[in-house]
Formats: sequence, C-alpha cells, structure tokens
Amino acid sequence: MSRGGANRSGPARAALGIAGLLLFLCAWQAIGYYRLAGLSWPPLTDVIALLADPERWPLLGRALSATLAAMTAGYLLGIVLGLGAAVGAHMFPIAHPGTDRLAAVVNSIPSIALGPVFIVFLSRESTAAAIAAAHAAFIIYVAASSGLAAASRGHRDLLVVLGASRLSRLRHLDLPASLPSLSTGLKLAVPAALIGTIIGEWFGAPRGLGVLIVNAMQNFQIALLWSVVVLIASTSLALYSALSLLERACYARFA
Amino acid sequence: MTAAIHVDRARKTFDLGKGKSVEALAGVSLEVRPGEFVAIIGPSGCGKSTILRLIGSLEEPTAGTVTIDGRPPRELAGAHRLGVAFQDHALLPWLSVWQNVTLPLQVAGVKPDDAKIAALIRLVGLEGFEKARPRQLSGGMRQRAAIARALVLGPEVLLLDEPFAALDAVTRRYMNIELQRIWTESRITTLLVTHGVDEALFLADRIVVMSGRPGRIIENLDIDFPRPRMPALMRTPAFHALYDHLADLLEPAAAENEPVAGGGES
Ligand SMILES: Nc1ncnc2c1ncn2[C@@H]1O[C@H](COP(=O)(O)OP(=O)(O)OP(=O)(O)O)[C@@H](O)[C@H]1O
Ligand SMILES: [Mg+2]
Repeated sequence: MSRGGANRSGPARAALGIAGLLLFLCAWQAIGYYRLAGLSWPPLTDVIALLADPERWPLLGRALSATLAAMTAGYLLGIVLGLGAAVGAHMFPIAHPGTDRLAAVVNSIPSIALGPVFIVFLSRESTAAAIAAAHAAFIIYVAASSGLAAASRGHRDLLVVLGASRLSRLRHLDLPASLPSLSTGLKLAVPAALIGTIIGEWFGAPRGLGVLIVNAMQNFQIALLWSVVVLIASTSLALYSALSLLERACYARFA
Repeated sequence: MTAAIHVDRARKTFDLGKGKSVEALAGVSLEVRPGEFVAIIGPSGCGKSTILRLIGSLEEPTAGTVTIDGRPPRELAGAHRLGVAFQDHALLPWLSVWQNVTLPLQVAGVKPDDAKIAALIRLVGLEGFEKARPRQLSGGMRQRAAIARALVLGPEVLLLDEPFAALDAVTRRYMNIELQRIWTESRITTLLVTHGVDEALFLADRIVVMSGRPGRIIENLDIDFPRPRMPALMRTPAFHALYDHLADLLEPAAAENEPVAGGGES
C-alpha cells in the first residue's frame, strides 16, 4: 500500500527535483554572470568549460584517481574494522557496551584533529585513507550492530531448537538478517569516506582532489576550485546512487 | 531412537514488568512415553505453546522440571535431535523452500540427501515450489514447508504447534493422514497442539485437555482406536462419543476463559 503511494508520487517528486536542480543551476549562472557574489563566484558556464577542456583532463584525472584510490582503501578498511568490531561485539556480548563507547569516543574526535595524529603515526600518503577509514568504520559499525540485532524472535527460537552454535547462528541468521541495515550503512559511508579522504589530503598528500582544492584556493584559480568541488560532488552522488541500488536489492531479498 | 518426555509439576510465570506477572502454567505434570503421540487441546491462552516451548528448550520453568530421557531439553536440541514446527512458520524469508527445508541439516553439519529432501517436499505437497521464497507462498504452504523442515532431521522428539491451522479442510485431512503415516513409520515421540478435536482424536494415542489460564491438565484420555486409522473412523459412533465428551470439557473452560482474558494479570 505504502509502496503504491510512493510510486504514484514518484514521477511527481522526480519532476519537482529536476525543476529544483534547474532553478539552482540557473541561479548559480546568474549570480556568477552578474558577479552578484563577487569574484569568488564564477558563472556555471566557466566551470563547465573548464571541466570540458581536454587539456585539464590529465590534471583532474590524476587527482581524481588518487582520491578514489585513497578513498577505496579507506572505505574497505573501514568496512573491515566496522564490521569486525560489530561482529565481535555481537559474538561476545560482554564486550558490547565497551565497543559502543569506544566507537562513540573515536567518532567524536573531529577529523581535523585526527589528521595531524595520523601524519605523525602513519605517512602523508596514507593519512587520507586513514581518515576515510575512520569515517566509514563508525557508520558501518553502527549499521552492522543494529542489523545483527534485527532477526526476529521466532527465527532466533528456531535456531535454538535446531541446536545451532553461535557461529552457525551468525552465518545462517544474524548476518543475512543484518544485510538490509548493513547495506544502508555501506551507502551512507561512501560520502563520509570521500569527505574524510579530502580532509586527509589537506594534510599534505602528494596529489588528490583535496590537494587541488588547496592549490586552486591559494592561487586564486576560482574556476578550477569550483570545478573540483563539482567533480567531488558528482563522484559522491554517483557512488551513492550505485550503492542505493545495492541497498534496494538487499531490502527486497533479506527484509 | 525415540525419547520420553517428562514434565513434572512445571509452573511458568511470565514477568510483565512493573511488578505485574501472568501465570501461564499452574503445575502441569505430563509424561509422554517413547514413541507415543500425545495431542494437547485447550482454550486459547491456556499455555499450550508454553508447554511446547519448555520442552523445546526455549523457556525455563519457574518451578518444577522438564526433561527428555532424564536430561535437560537443551541437550537434545544441541544434538540436533529435535523437530519443531511453530505456530508461526518461522521460515527464513531469504531462503527458498528447498533451502529452508535443508536448513536444519546445514546447522547440524549433515550433508543433505537430495532424493530424501525431494521426497519430503513432495510429501507436503510443495513439489514445483522448491525455488519459491516464503513470501511467494500461501499461509498453508508455508506451514507445510515448516513441517517438512521439522521432519528433515529425523528427530527423536517432534513438537507441532497448530501446524495445520492455516490449511483448508481437505488439505488438512490429507496432511493428517500423511502425518499418521510418517509417524507410524518412525514412531517419533510427538506432541501436537491443536484446536481441532477431530484432528486430535484421529492422530493421537492420548489426548490431554487443559483448562483456561492458568493452564492445568483437566483430562488425560487414552484413545485406542486401532491403527492405521482411516478417515472413515471419523464417522463411527465411538468417535462421535469421544468428540462430544471432549467438546463438553472445552466449552466451560472456554466460557470461563473469556472474562479473565483482559484482567488476568495478578
Ligand atoms: N513471552 C511471554 N511474555 C509474557 N506472557 C507470555 C509470554 N508467552 C506467553 N505468555 C502468556 O502466557 C499465556 C499462555 O500463552 P500460550 O502462548 O502458551 O497460549 P496457547 O495455549 O498456546 O494459546 P493459543 O491457543 O492462542 O496459541 C498467555 O496468557 C500469554 O499471554
Ligand atoms: Mg499457542
């Protein structure tokens, strides 16, 4: 019933969204064209022209691939850490409150403060991935923890009656039942990991979109600065949408 | 390889919080001999499912003991020798019918025998639905899948909680005959909770009648119709006499149970 309702308003909502986006882009163009916000707000067409200029592609491409590589490494590490901690806490309930508190404390440290610490402990190259991992790990931990507790009482009872060990209960029930919630976490962790990577790159990574932002800002290359921002936003949106599909599949199958 | 169930003066009180509690079972004693088929009937909320949950190691008695072959039920469950079909089917939604039926084997670490699984699925009339997900099945089909799952381990004790409640009369009759056939072959110690007096009479060696909450046993009736029992049995005067006797026992209990249903908490 609710799904039918969502379907009916789906096209309308999409149309509204597109209209809003168009309005936003027009406003951007107008503000930039008439210099309503000063020199640091370029017209949209300048940004598009820069992004479409093949001479800029090697520079942007190198930075994008460096950022994606660091982000992917951090994201995967974050999954391992977050999921590992959640499964560990699930299997050994005595550790659960402690793990929760640790995760909350780690998460409450601003990444800006984490950066210098990672630089001291790790290297400039790996700081970006490390901050991305910290961001992703927390989200995955929270999503996986609530997912692992999602199985219904009836299903838990079934596994008790079948004489399942903890490990086999995890494998046959708790893990599959956690996938919807976990897939939401995987989706939300993508933008978080990307932001973490950019912040990490500000602490002196050799290359990456974050580095490009800092350089463009310092050299007052306004169009370049905005191009990088647009690139980051579209990358984030594209990955987020791809993982939304995964999330939908998980909900359809496992919930 | 069947086991004896021994419930000895078992009481069960559920804590509802805020100092409130509800007494589900008030001292129930029940002995099921190895290979015996016992049916439990009684008004809704009288603790039938609670008895099954005690024997299925899902609940601990507040007082008294529950043992299977002299040992705690947990041990039988741990040895993967318990077959249970719950009141709600409890099929895993992400597994197909086939995978749901073989789940107990997976958990027990036993390699499934494909021919045997196929036969079991045919037995419960789900041929052609092996790959279907539970949500694609009707309520009755889900219950039948759950029965196949309860039988797949060849258990020593079979606990069935209203397994045929969602079936139409014809399928139910058919399942009763099939269940009798399986049981006659294997002589699994079986405890069946049902609201169908005719079903209980048709299947059981003994019928236990319970009073309204707090549940206690008010009648223990041996049913010695010869086996195998045929559907024609249900048209005999002896069958009708027992049916009427049991229905009479249930009626006042049901009438008493209604008023206390809302305010039974002590
Ligand atoms: N987990 C629980 N917490 C609190 N009360 C419970 C719990 N389980 C059962 N009860 C109570 O115990 C009583 C007996 O419940 P039970 O499920 O055994 O009844 P039943 O005889 O199986 O009924 P039905 O025929 O409707 O299935 C009920 O009053 C119920 O409210
Ligand atoms: Mg019940």
